[in-house]
Amino acid sequence: MTMNSIVETDFPETFVEEMEKLQEALPQRIDANPNNVEKGLAKLVLTLVELVRKLLEKQAMRRIEAGSLSDEQIERVGETLMKLETKMHELKEVFGLKDEELNINLGPLGDLM
Amino acid sequence: MKLYLYGIIDSSSMIPEPICGLEASSVYNIPYCDIGAVVSEINQPVQAVSKRLVLEHEAVTEKLMEKFTVLPFRLLTILDGRENVLSMMGDYYGDFRGNLDGLRGKVEFGIKVIWPADKVKSRIIDACGTKNRNAHLLDDSVERRFVREKFEEHKIDRALREKADGYIHAMDVFLGKFAAAKRLETLRTENLLLSAVYLVTKDNQDNFREAFEHIRTARKDFKYLFSGPWPPYHFVTLRRKSQPRRNSGQTAIFDKVILQPTLVEADRT
Repeated sequence: MTMNSIVETDFPETFVEEMEKLQEALPQRIDANPNNVEKGLAKLVLTLVELVRKLLEKQAMRRIEAGSLSDEQIERVGETLMKLETKMHELKEVFGLKDEELNINLGPLGDLM
Repeated sequence: MKLYLYGIIDSSSMIPEPICGLEASSVYNIPYCDIGAVVSEINQPVQAVSKRLVLEHEAVTEKLMEKFTVLPFRLLTILDGRENVLSMMGDYYGDFRGNLDGLRGKVEFGIKVIWPADKVKSRIIDACGTKNRNAHLLDDSVERRFVREKFEEHKIDRALREKADGYIHAMDVFLGKFAAAKRLETLRTENLLLSAVYLVTKDNQDNFREAFEHIRTARKDFKYLFSGPWPPYHFVTLRRKSQPRRNSGQTAIFDKVILQPTLVEADRT
């Protein structure tokens, strides 16, 4: 078996490490076997919730940057974002999920987050 | 009889020299009009992708690349008999023909770049004076402090992305000059600055490589991975949606195949 293509790098371990991180974050399919169907579904649902939470957060930051929120509104936004983050943290713990696991590969469109 | 598919080639003739495929079977061409599906027969069901499978599959497609334009199939594409192959060829002939025309005389190169994200981030934080700014937040309410911290993070992330975009643009100006097409992905992980594939005409291979060397020399604090020439795995596009075919183990026709660089490297050494 001979091959002409080459892979050149002075840092193979570093690249393997980065590629492994990607593999961990991007499952090809939902793991829905009887033993952990709950976790598989939780992962999918929490990924979507996390996406919405991040969008909310980004939108809030944009509005703060633009100076369109009053002090009182900033206070309320802060409370809401804090509660959301705390709740997400609790749910991730319940289902044994890490931050980097909450992502979905959208094929040619790239990663969800 | 199960047939393992390696790719579609722009020829309906016999393959001029013997190529050894999976299970040491002979690789041959099944002609359809003016193109062909390159296959070999397999007896054992192949369920999972292994290092050996990747290397054998790649070796066949590279051998084919020497003589033909190849549309590489994803790993583990298996069809039930010649009739199914011909039926699939009939379904996709237009797409195959169009892709073969578009990819003639072109190969794919992969480039990955890791940057020192931590250091870049630290410099951004220093420039923003974030640490000092946070000191006076102690008087704020918890909610306000939370928002301000988030806001600082938001600014740092944005600055990091802008830096990344700047570096990538500079690299792409060099590499893009010699590419017919490209796909760039930025910061797939915080450290992986760039993950790119470039479609390059065979005539431009040396220029492309030279451009890459120039980049590597210019920024020595980054880490680089250069690979290729590969069959154009990332540049085959099907207009017709590929569906699993009945009576076959096939899942999809052209999902991109990501070769594990370490596996290829291991085999070469």
